[in-house]
Amino acid sequence: MAGIYVHIPFCKSKCSYCDFTSFPDKLCYAESYMTCVYREMAMRSPELKNYTFQTLYIGGGTPSVIDENYIAMLVAAAKKYFNLTADAEITIEMNPGTVSTKKIETYLKCGVNRFSVGLQTAVDSQLSDLGRIHNLKDYLNCAKLLKGQNFSADIMFGLKNQTVADIEKSIETAAYSGANHISTYALTPEDGTPIYTDYLNGELPDGDEVADMYAFIVKKLRSLGYERYEVSNFAKRGKESRHNLNYWKRGEYIGFGVSASSCINNVRMTNTFDLDEYFKCILSNHLAVISREEIDKAGQEEEFIMLALRTAAGLDLEEYTALFGGDFTKKYAKQIQNTREYVEVTPKTFKIKDEYLFVQNSIIIEYLNAAD
Amino acid sequence: MANKSNIRNFCIIAHIDHGKSTLADRLMERTGQVSERDMEAQLLDSMDIERERGITIKLTPVRMFYKAKDGVEYEFNLIDTPGHVDFTYEVSRSLAACEGAILIVDASQGVEAQTLANVYLALENNLEILPVINKIDLPSARPDEVKKEIEDVIGLDASNAPLISAKEGIGIDDVLEAIVTAFPAPDCNETAPLKALIFDSYYDNYKGVILFVRIKDGKVKAGDKIKTFRSDKIYEVVETGVFAPDLTPKNGLSAGDVGYVAASIKSIQDVAVGDTLINPDFPAAEPLPGYKKVQSVVFCGIYPLDGSKFNDLKDAILKLQLNDASLLFEPDSSVALGFGFRCGFLGLLHMEIIQERIEREFGLEIITTAPSVSYKVVKTDGEELFVDNPSHLPPTSEIEHMEEPIVKADIYSPPDYLGQIMDLCREKRGVFLQMTYLDKSRVRLEYNLPLNEIIFDFFDQIKSRTRGYASFDYELKGYERSKLVKLDIMLNGDVCDALSMIVHEDSAYTRGRTLCENLKEAIPRQLFEVPVQAAIGGKIIARETVKAVRKDVLAKCYGGDITRKKKLLEKQKEGKKRMRRVGNVDVPSEVFMQILKTNKD
Repeated sequence: MAGIYVHIPFCKSKCSYCDFTSFPDKLCYAESYMTCVYREMAMRSPELKNYTFQTLYIGGGTPSVIDENYIAMLVAAAKKYFNLTADAEITIEMNPGTVSTKKIETYLKCGVNRFSVGLQTAVDSQLSDLGRIHNLKDYLNCAKLLKGQNFSADIMFGLKNQTVADIEKSIETAAYSGANHISTYALTPEDGTPIYTDYLNGELPDGDEVADMYAFIVKKLRSLGYERYEVSNFAKRGKESRHNLNYWKRGEYIGFGVSASSCINNVRMTNTFDLDEYFKCILSNHLAVISREEIDKAGQEEEFIMLALRTAAGLDLEEYTALFGGDFTKKYAKQIQNTREYVEVTPKTFKIKDEYLFVQNSIIIEYLNAAD
Repeated sequence: MANKSNIRNFCIIAHIDHGKSTLADRLMERTGQVSERDMEAQLLDSMDIERERGITIKLTPVRMFYKAKDGVEYEFNLIDTPGHVDFTYEVSRSLAACEGAILIVDASQGVEAQTLANVYLALENNLEILPVINKIDLPSARPDEVKKEIEDVIGLDASNAPLISAKEGIGIDDVLEAIVTAFPAPDCNETAPLKALIFDSYYDNYKGVILFVRIKDGKVKAGDKIKTFRSDKIYEVVETGVFAPDLTPKNGLSAGDVGYVAASIKSIQDVAVGDTLINPDFPAAEPLPGYKKVQSVVFCGIYPLDGSKFNDLKDAILKLQLNDASLLFEPDSSVALGFGFRCGFLGLLHMEIIQERIEREFGLEIITTAPSVSYKVVKTDGEELFVDNPSHLPPTSEIEHMEEPIVKADIYSPPDYLGQIMDLCREKRGVFLQMTYLDKSRVRLEYNLPLNEIIFDFFDQIKSRTRGYASFDYELKGYERSKLVKLDIMLNGDVCDALSMIVHEDSAYTRGRTLCENLKEAIPRQLFEVPVQAAIGGKIIARETVKAVRKDVLAKCYGGDITRKKKLLEKQKEGKKRMRRVGNVDVPSEVFMQILKTNKD
């Protein structure tokens, strides 16, 4: 299984927590940028002609901020240059403040069949703290336009002044508005973002409070029929994001646009984060790759374990054997023994126990560089 | 230079930071020993640590030639000495090789505790003392008051003391001239049988042990047979030479000379510093007066961070000992830390320096346990033993009583801080002896203090409570009976032997509580709750809890995040490698050492 990712690095304004590659003041370059993306696809098309892709994910930034026709052309280009299966999952990220009936109609017409909407929180004052351009009303309006569609809502927790009740309201808003998939992300204050100041001043909830919120989220979402299938992702049965599951299965993927990553044939490549540089490279018929890493067998195994343990299903033992040979439970007997209270071995899988998924780093590191 | 009356052998003594190494540099520069162009700041401090910390650890001799105003060229042998209290032992060694000592006193700070200690040492060695007042270029300089202080406190005539600034090069010629007039030429007999004082040694990979000697009587040259007075091993001299300041071969050394002797000696243990070098064919009857044997004052355990590096650590300590006979060690083992060494040091600074050198010069990562002193234990069956490792203490039932080492401490301070100092000494179980006003602005306080109170954080405390104004020096006085108990620390219910310590009964409760509080901060949260308890003889006296970690995850991990996530986990894993697993608790390696700091700030 393999996926295609396209990065749209534009947005109306930068959110206060955002450290993604996005340029709010460069929307005027959208046309040139998209032209380059199509071109980048054309450039990589020949080497991937034997691949079949099952998903296309258009992320950002805010993909919904640019003219919808570029998206239609993008989907067309993806279909033209790559073998995208007929039932491919095609997702676009949307900001509730940038949608319209016409946009959604265009998306649907060109083949987009899944939407990821950034609700973040149902509390307007918190939305404005986050620097979001939308409010609760915008979200509800957006959800109305998406009625009957396959869509996901993003919710953030660990926000300044956020209470468990606020989180409950956000979850209920997402659920009752029809989202069949909900992602919940703990706010990560990255150095260099405006929110980092709040973090330094101790204005954000501490780790224990965030852990309490998370425990509440898991319980609440379950009661509403959303099962956790990865640390931050919950879905109604069968509505999991196939594109993202592919990452956690360590499947192959190809990324287009600034800052996008690819991992094909165990070579991970990342594009430049600089828009001008991206233009220059593509226009002179070069890939815009700034880092290229060949992942050796040990590295592959490490990534496979690290990613699989993020999921609720855990690591598929047969899949492990098929990929790396040997019996996982024998090879890692010592590590399993050391972490026995936190992990679960079943005949087919190895996983971190549900209640320890939120402290998984401490557990996963036991399984890294197992040789030393 | 045949004429011994033109030789001056001297050293420089001073309080730390009063400008000893700078003056030495200046003297060498002025006598043309090194050109200004080649001048590296603090030439004699050749170890990186010495330059970085601005201190001298090893003594370093150097030879210079000076043409004095009387038209005669003199040979100067300068032996640089360490200034810190820990290295009194090294100082006494270099003093024994000299006839004179330049005493540097800082023009603004005046006489300090260490100044006094070194002056007494010099006087014990019958040295002529030349006071020199340094740093007169500073706005705060008060040379006249300092002169008076030298006369009042030390009892030396300072009226003709050269006023200099070693840094600015002021008054250096006065010092050179004064060396000629103030210090006597060596009193020596070239025809007598060889007698040479070994005042230092170090191990050279090619030449074997290099002996630093002061020839008192007789001669020695390549091809001669030599032995030390206290050992029977006979060696043949391969090379002799002088310090210019690097080792410079010169065939033949004779009475009055300061130089080096190489004789293919394999191990530094074979030749004790302080011993007398003689010629087995014409043995001198009496050895030179040696100096007191080195005595370890502070002890700690040193373990490799990575248990498999035990042999590397052993090699490192052995190599360091080649050049530092005052470093003592024996193999030791701990339940918590595995195999390592119990090491004895001259003092806390010495300990710190050795630790740093192991890590730096040998690239080894080590764990050190909290410093301890040596206690005298009198058992019920009358047997007496010394214990410096808390985990080797006999069971309480077998102990009749215990004694702890006491030091006499001299503290010099402006009167404004007397209250703070006295409070501190009281907290540290000090016994007040007397107080002397040296002048309006300086007081000398004398206390008897238990050594184990000093090795905790006394230095830091006295400096912080007096804003750095007070200075402090001490000497071992003896042992006194004391109510001592063994304080154990339990992590998650198990005693961690590497954290045990011997403390006074009265401070056990406070210390136990502080230790638990500090450990609670220092031990990272684990996947489970960790009780941290302090106990005496199985009775819990304090408890804290390290709560379980509840959030340790990267919120997002999609295609572009995988590399970052992997790096993050690897970093976390690296961090974990710097910890020791005690029972099932991960403890950062620096905890074992730092946990003693009783103040959190």
